[in-house]
Amino acid sequence: MKILVITEQRQGKWNNTSFETLVAAQQIAAAASGTVSTVVIGKGVAALADEVASKNVADVSIVEHDLLDSYTPDGYCTALKQVVESAKPDLVLFPHTYQVRDFAPKLAASLGKGMIGDCVGFRNEGGKLVFVRQMFQGKTAADVTFLGAGPWFASFQSGAFRADQLAAHSSKAPVNAVAVTLDAADIRTKPLEVFKEAKSAVDLTQAPLIVSIGRGIKAPENIAQAEALAKAMGAEIAASRPICDEGWLPMERQIGSSGQTVAPKLYLALGISGAIQHVVGMKGARTIVAVNKDQNAPIFEIADYGIVADIFEVMPALTEELQKAKG
Amino acid sequence: MNILVCIKQVPAKDAPLAIAGNWIKESDIGFEMNEPDSYALEEALRLKEKHGGEVIVLSLGPERVKQTIKEALAKGADRGIHIADDNFAELDPLGAAKVLAAAIGKEKIDLVLTGLQSDDHGFGQTGVLLAALLNLPHATIIMQIDVQEGSSSGTTAPRLMKLKRELEAGWFQWIECPLPAVLSIQSGINKVRYATLKGIMAAKKKEIATVTREALGVSAESTQKIEKIYVPTKTKKTEFLTGPPKEVAAKLVEKLKFEARVI
Amino acid sequence: MTMQREQLEADVLIVGAGPAGLSCALHLANLIKQHNASGAKPELSAENIYVLEKGREIGAHQLSGAIMNPKALAELVPGFEKSAPLDTPVTDSAALLFTEKHSYRAPITPPPFNNTGNYVISLSKVVKWLGGLVEAAGVNLFKEFGGADLIYEGDGIAGVITEDKGLDKNGKPKANYTPGYELRAKVTVLAEGTRGSLTKQLVAKKHLDNINPQSYGIGIKELWDVQPGKIKPGYVAHTLGWPISTKMYGGGWIYGLSNNRISIGLVIALEYENSRFDPHAAFQTWKTHPFVRNILEGGKLVRYGAKSLPYGGWYAMPRNFMDGGLIAGDSGSFLDSQRLKGVHLAMKSGMLAAETIFEALKKGDYSANTLKLYKEKIDHSYIKEELWKVRNFHQSFRNGMLDGFFHSAIQQITGGAGLVDPMHAHAGHEAYKPIFGRPAPERFKGDGKLTFDRLTDVYHSGTRHDEDQPCHLKVQDLNICSTKCVEEFGNPCQYFCPAAVYEMVKEGSTLKLKINAANCVHCKTCDIADPYQIIDWVVPEGGGGPNYDGM
Repeated sequence: MKILVITEQRQGKWNNTSFETLVAAQQIAAAASGTVSTVVIGKGVAALADEVASKNVADVSIVEHDLLDSYTPDGYCTALKQVVESAKPDLVLFPHTYQVRDFAPKLAASLGKGMIGDCVGFRNEGGKLVFVRQMFQGKTAADVTFLGAGPWFASFQSGAFRADQLAAHSSKAPVNAVAVTLDAADIRTKPLEVFKEAKSAVDLTQAPLIVSIGRGIKAPENIAQAEALAKAMGAEIAASRPICDEGWLPMERQIGSSGQTVAPKLYLALGISGAIQHVVGMKGARTIVAVNKDQNAPIFEIADYGIVADIFEVMPALTEELQKAKG
Repeated sequence: MNILVCIKQVPAKDAPLAIAGNWIKESDIGFEMNEPDSYALEEALRLKEKHGGEVIVLSLGPERVKQTIKEALAKGADRGIHIADDNFAELDPLGAAKVLAAAIGKEKIDLVLTGLQSDDHGFGQTGVLLAALLNLPHATIIMQIDVQEGSSSGTTAPRLMKLKRELEAGWFQWIECPLPAVLSIQSGINKVRYATLKGIMAAKKKEIATVTREALGVSAESTQKIEKIYVPTKTKKTEFLTGPPKEVAAKLVEKLKFEARVI
Repeated sequence: MTMQREQLEADVLIVGAGPAGLSCALHLANLIKQHNASGAKPELSAENIYVLEKGREIGAHQLSGAIMNPKALAELVPGFEKSAPLDTPVTDSAALLFTEKHSYRAPITPPPFNNTGNYVISLSKVVKWLGGLVEAAGVNLFKEFGGADLIYEGDGIAGVITEDKGLDKNGKPKANYTPGYELRAKVTVLAEGTRGSLTKQLVAKKHLDNINPQSYGIGIKELWDVQPGKIKPGYVAHTLGWPISTKMYGGGWIYGLSNNRISIGLVIALEYENSRFDPHAAFQTWKTHPFVRNILEGGKLVRYGAKSLPYGGWYAMPRNFMDGGLIAGDSGSFLDSQRLKGVHLAMKSGMLAAETIFEALKKGDYSANTLKLYKEKIDHSYIKEELWKVRNFHQSFRNGMLDGFFHSAIQQITGGAGLVDPMHAHAGHEAYKPIFGRPAPERFKGDGKLTFDRLTDVYHSGTRHDEDQPCHLKVQDLNICSTKCVEEFGNPCQYFCPAAVYEMVKEGSTLKLKINAANCVHCKTCDIADPYQIIDWVVPEGGGGPNYDGM
């Protein structure tokens, strides 16, 4: 089985989930006796390609063109279609990023193929590849298989695989430049300036680390301690409904059945009891840590790590430890 | 400006899910308009208010989806198209998009809008696939649409849109996109309007055309199959960390770094 | 806030799409159809009938056990046996007495508990189906709209004002602010169900009370899927005894539906002495009885819900007609509290209202003088026949179960008169005894498998409300909560609300009332049972509330 991984970069900087996809590819290759080829696409990406070449991959293809300097769906699809047609992979993998959502289904469709997107894992069942994804906003999982011949297209959700498991290689994989034909007339949308907004609404569903507070925080003045902890961790702050109800944090920070549903790498629940209304919004998190004075709080039933203690003692201690670890 | 909005009817958010093989038992649950699609509909209605034209609602599914089309008509859409298909829950994203594209192809449309993804399947591919099948430019996760009427030279050049697209981590981008095009709309970008009493009454008189997949000439082939859906089982056991605060904090950081490897 | 409201006019406005409201709409539409077909004048239109429903779907807020006597449905929809989604006919009626460890079945099921000929139904499903018939008949059915205020005119009413939509929690307009409509009609039918908010206002303002104030109970229900073989479809059991003390009025039910689904619940009259009694906890405790526990073993909770019910019967029935207005269904006290049957009486009252309105439309006169025909029709129908026989039933239990059995036995052989006729009742909220400093009881936690705490149960009611809207539970004086009520009654709202809406939280040295309005399941218990009667339940933004699919 030949697996082709399409990595993602913007202006010379990696979207790190690309490495998670490489890990997924390596694992699928191991399970289905396959090889992992990679693609780096853009302009001036030689250094990035070199980096990938040091990992345990069969080869790296650089796809460069002036018209690929800025991402456009037309540009990427036109170029990658040619790459896929010549490389003839069985399986094409992507990290499930905003950008991939924007072009990958179109790429697959241009080859008359389908895409299974936003997968959280895979299984090899007697030679058959089964992809696992979530349905009903995480309430259920679904096993999905491809029908018909490849190439098959799939993307993996951020955090489904761990980038630190990416195996390096002693020698360097070959890096080849792949020429593609692209015309300005092919590209119908024109990308303009990229900017950050001063008061951007927070999208907790994209936050890899979340520190969440519940009633245990007792008063709005205490939230600063949780925010300091979040800062030290590089996490977003979130809360259960009562906190947002009171107006202590804005509504878009609310996690739960009447707020956001999140599945971050780490969810730290401080002073949250774990009522079902809240739990349904976060039980998909990969690692859940709960701190609560009440040892019988239902939150501990879904926690990976539990600390039965006063959050006002644990928060400052944890903040200090995290700052030590950073520095 | 003629705008077509693809709307999906999904099981109600709070419906207790009774799994049956690769779908859920549909008896005893309510259905509603897919929430992300309601933002697309709202955006379409605002564009119509600004630029004139018609808003058409398109939905694929069994007879019950007519109810959701009616809700869209009650909010101000002008007419609806129902593609009748009892098995549409089995269709893969590409198969569903082919049917929708066939219906859209029969209309004169300037802009196709979809929501980001559905609350049931959550494939999130429909908008992009429609663009591919209709050979139209597209953009996704759109927060703002500015239609620029005509061009500076005064000729009847194709109209242009300036779009604000959301990127990850608080970044945004402006994009120029010609019409006709397909856009998928980010959720929460507008305050969805309420259906008015007059709107609900007027909806009864608005047209909902029904057509079948066969009549559109689209065969039912799939590129993928949902084998089964299930509630993921919990295999974790809670590890309690004990000790005075400083100690327990240190233990936790260590676990998070080296065991769970999340920081 | 004064603003220009959009005005709309209808011939008939029905507030509430429950069994009473929909039966009124359907029957009237049918009468109009026949009338027009015969060429009679003036020509009338079913499209001028508007029905308002605050729920997101028809049936979303319908909750009952339920056992339905089909006689009203048979009149309304001939051939209903084939078309109505009735779950199963009753196959077995049992009256059970529970002690803590045992259960005893009465060898002969007493007549009030005998349900042969009736059906076990999901009221929500039946109402949803009725709604379909009403829409097909051309009636305008508006979901997600509630009646927020009445329009008074002359001695009666002239319509309602629907709720304002798009206000934030401070009452300020949001971007999608849409003010409520001024909906005028020649006749307005209040069919709001138990403790209707407009009905409460109207009865108070126009002094429509009967000799007794209305008495209420609270019904708490769970729908379960159980292991095959645990229960037969159509099995109907009513339980008395444990864990309800004999001083309180209440009992449980177990109804077997098809496909291994059961409806279970507990009803308790809201007129008990212990101000910190927790009906939800009592229901959960009842489930642990060996008889019930055995049925639920290996089963799964599907849905939860709660609703109050009007027990007062005939002598608590408000005047139900006036200039431009009629009251039908539970709002009008059409419930047989002895047999626990309200659905068919609600439907019949709706149909009689329809017939009355039909005459008024033909005459072109909507005054009380014409609409009093409603009362006459009720008096000559099986509504009076049934309710008259049990007119003193509920009042007999004011001193406990044993007293009640004694009186009701005598009523049974005296056509309902009994020893005292009319027997008076006091408002339930007046029954509380002060707590005299007794410490608060520990709150029920539940084991998460057989029994549940309120928050977990409320999650299964599917209730949701837009959080950013004004609180729909209006407490007239929050100071009373923090001072008088703490001392006297220990804040009963924390205990009687089956949805954990009310909480007393410590702020400094005082306790303050916190209202989690979004949890509300629209049961109206707080409006009924608060000791100082300072809670007014008003209709929240349309669409909010529970989702009683299948209930």
